[in-house]
Amino acid sequence: MNTEELAQLHVDKSVDARGTSCPGPLLAAKKAIGQIEKGQVMEVLSADEGTKRDIPKWCTKKGYEYLGTIEESGFFKILLRK
Amino acid sequence: MKNKKLTLALFSGSVDKLTAAGVILGGAAAEDMDVDIFVLLQAAFAFKKENAMVNDRVAEITDKKDEFLASLKALGTPHWTEAFRTAKEMTNVKVHICGFAGKVWKGVKLDDFIDLADDICGISEYMASAEEADINLFI
Repeated sequence: MNTEELAQLHVDKSVDARGTSCPGPLLAAKKAIGQIEKGQVMEVLSADEGTKRDIPKWCTKKGYEYLGTIEESGFFKILLRK
Repeated sequence: MKNKKLTLALFSGSVDKLTAAGVILGGAAAEDMDVDIFVLLQAAFAFKKENAMVNDRVAEITDKKDEFLASLKALGTPHWTEAFRTAKEMTNVKVHICGFAGKVWKGVKLDDFIDLADDICGISEYMASAEEADINLFI
């Protein structure tokens, strides 16, 4: 999925973890994933560089679909489908 | 499916190593791993009620201690006890205090330690846990 397609996705749940460092964003994602249904989309906002690799790995292990990452100014959005 | 298991032999009573342990626990919690933590010698000092929040020892790069602690604070890093607590809330984490280690620091009852501690145990419990663990760490 390219950045334009990612940006047009309907996001069911947004998690803002920009104030935390590893493993904060991952734990915030883990807490929030229970609040959405299978097939719904969640975005995780993070300013921690490690999260860009953490979330895709976590998705693979937990059976979620990693959709992609959008770079913003000073942070990024990581999108996944449950 | 059975959860994977992390066994952590926690020897260090230093804030830097305890903080690292807290980060690893966060990773284990995100993956729903079962975790057994065995609090050994120096770590038992840090788990004593009167020490947990005031202990500011570091084990590594001790000449940069002030910079390190200030940086943790500036980054909003949770205190290691908070990281452990979060992991306990999110997955199955059991904290076992080594009976010998407890006695070294005059802690003989579970009540002598912070409420993260679940029980006081002997070495055979560590051996049994480590034997069946997918990841076994000594910190």
